[in-house]
Amino acid sequence: MKQDSKYHIVIIDDEPPARQIIRDYLKAYSDLEIVGESADGFSGLKAIQELKPDLVFLDIQMPKLTGFELLDLLDDPPLIVFSTAFDQFAIKAFEMNAIDYLLKPYSRDRFGQAVEKALNGLRAGTKEPSAVKSVIDSVDGQPDLLARIAVKIRHKVHVIPVQEIRYLEADGDYVTIHTEKDKFLKEKTMKYFEIHLDPARFIRIHRSTIINVDFMDKLEYYDKESYAILMKDGTRLKASTAGYKLLKEALKL
Amino acid sequence: MQHPVFKNTKSIVLYFGIWILLAGIQFIILIFQYHFPLEIALADSLVFNLLFAAIALPMWFTVRYSSPSSGWRFNILFNHLTSLVLLIVIWIGVAYSILALVFQNETVYNDFLTVSIPMRLISGVLLYVLVGLIYYLLIYNFNLQEKLKMEARLHSLLKETELNMLKSQINPHFLFNSLNSISSLTVTDPEKARDMVIKLSDFLRYSVSSGADSMTSLPEEFENIKRYLEIEKVRFGDKLRYDLRVGENCHNQKIPVMLLQPLYENAIKHGVYESSDQVKIETECMVGTGYTDISIVNDFDPDAVPRVGAGVGLNNIRERLRLTYQRNDLLKTWKEGNRYFVRLRIPE
Repeated sequence: MKQDSKYHIVIIDDEPPARQIIRDYLKAYSDLEIVGESADGFSGLKAIQELKPDLVFLDIQMPKLTGFELLDLLDDPPLIVFSTAFDQFAIKAFEMNAIDYLLKPYSRDRFGQAVEKALNGLRAGTKEPSAVKSVIDSVDGQPDLLARIAVKIRHKVHVIPVQEIRYLEADGDYVTIHTEKDKFLKEKTMKYFEIHLDPARFIRIHRSTIINVDFMDKLEYYDKESYAILMKDGTRLKASTAGYKLLKEALKL
Repeated sequence: MQHPVFKNTKSIVLYFGIWILLAGIQFIILIFQYHFPLEIALADSLVFNLLFAAIALPMWFTVRYSSPSSGWRFNILFNHLTSLVLLIVIWIGVAYSILALVFQNETVYNDFLTVSIPMRLISGVLLYVLVGLIYYLLIYNFNLQEKLKMEARLHSLLKETELNMLKSQINPHFLFNSLNSISSLTVTDPEKARDMVIKLSDFLRYSVSSGADSMTSLPEEFENIKRYLEIEKVRFGDKLRYDLRVGENCHNQKIPVMLLQPLYENAIKHGVYESSDQVKIETECMVGTGYTDISIVNDFDPDAVPRVGAGVGLNNIRERLRLTYQRNDLLKTWKEGNRYFVRLRIPE
């Protein structure tokens, strides 16, 4: 319980009337207090990190960062209630896993249910971060391919367009994303990127390497069992026999 | 269209069946009217009729390539006369030679063969006309079926286009967010909520009431754009600003209905949706000789990383322009710094 015995709330939505209605609906709850509002993904992320709210009402489509990308960047996410007009994001999976998913426009009763669910969670002290995380994974599990990847370096957020990625390398629990100018660490698995990057462009040439064929220069024969891929910038990457096969298929050799 | 006799075995059997029937009638007449012996009557009727059946087959091509729709009537007449004379000469010549040779000792029949030539000529002409008419009838029927099929296909294609257009016009995301704004305004500003309901209704009515191929006047199209932008302005407040400068001189221009809307939707999508700064959409209309230029300029955040591949809306417009004006060069878009330019040229 907080010192002032109120739960703190942040509303993140790029449309003022959409924030307004949440404010209106929340007036009925004396133990909930709005501590911040944001109109885009970046400032929303900052607000959550600084204000450490207990509950966040989060839109999905917003400037700078989407609600999903924002949530993905949080190490210790608060309870999240999505509030969005999108119904194509595997709503069912959401309703099973997330604290709640409000489809705009929603009634006071529907909003009340979401708040009750969140309050139950808060009073019991279960933040269910695993539930939220699994929601993200189930949403990401859609066939939608990534067009960009949001990464956080210390306190700065970078959004990388996938076409700027040269290759990705496994690095313990992380994956290093090599772009033309820089490299970034992302806490994800190689499997995740293998599934969510365009398979026509991104080929897993090795257990620990995925390359972007646009940045590939040459294929070199090493010995019987292995091949080397020479990238345009001169980087030499090892390919397994299976990876070499995949690459050949992708390049229609 | 292929030869109707050789379409399948059934049609071949039917064709020769009819000729054998005709031969049968001739056979009966020769027996009972002229009292010829059986073998002579059989030979005469079979030879004449089956020979005609065989040499009437190529007639199809005369008919096929002399259709009244393919022009010059005199040419058609000439083709048929040539083909008729050729057919009759071959027909009577060959049949006469065969029969005269086989029955050279039957003087009565030989006389009959010679005497009957004028009658055979007349029946040949009549048969030619009959076969020709049947062929023309078949072609006419075939063309009619084809035309009906084509019309049905065109109709369904048009319907599909219309449906796709409607789908692209009323973006459900836009609709639900607008409804959410209305829901919010009912508490804070009921007057404004009612205003928004009316704008949204007018916008939807305009979108669904017109077909894919209908034209409207430029002021009417801009009236709808204004509604659209006003609705978006309620959603996004001061973040969106717009300026529609459409002078009196543009008022006579016609434009395909809902052609402009996707351009503004794009400006909102890539400008307002992706930026946290204020976005201004400026529209100007200029009249040149034989055309009207519409320019739409909007701010956007050049650092914003695209989430999904854009361009569907623009391709749609290009396709509609191509279908309406048969031109590919009417829509131009480009970027300069943080401003996105669209120039649309509409021929008069």
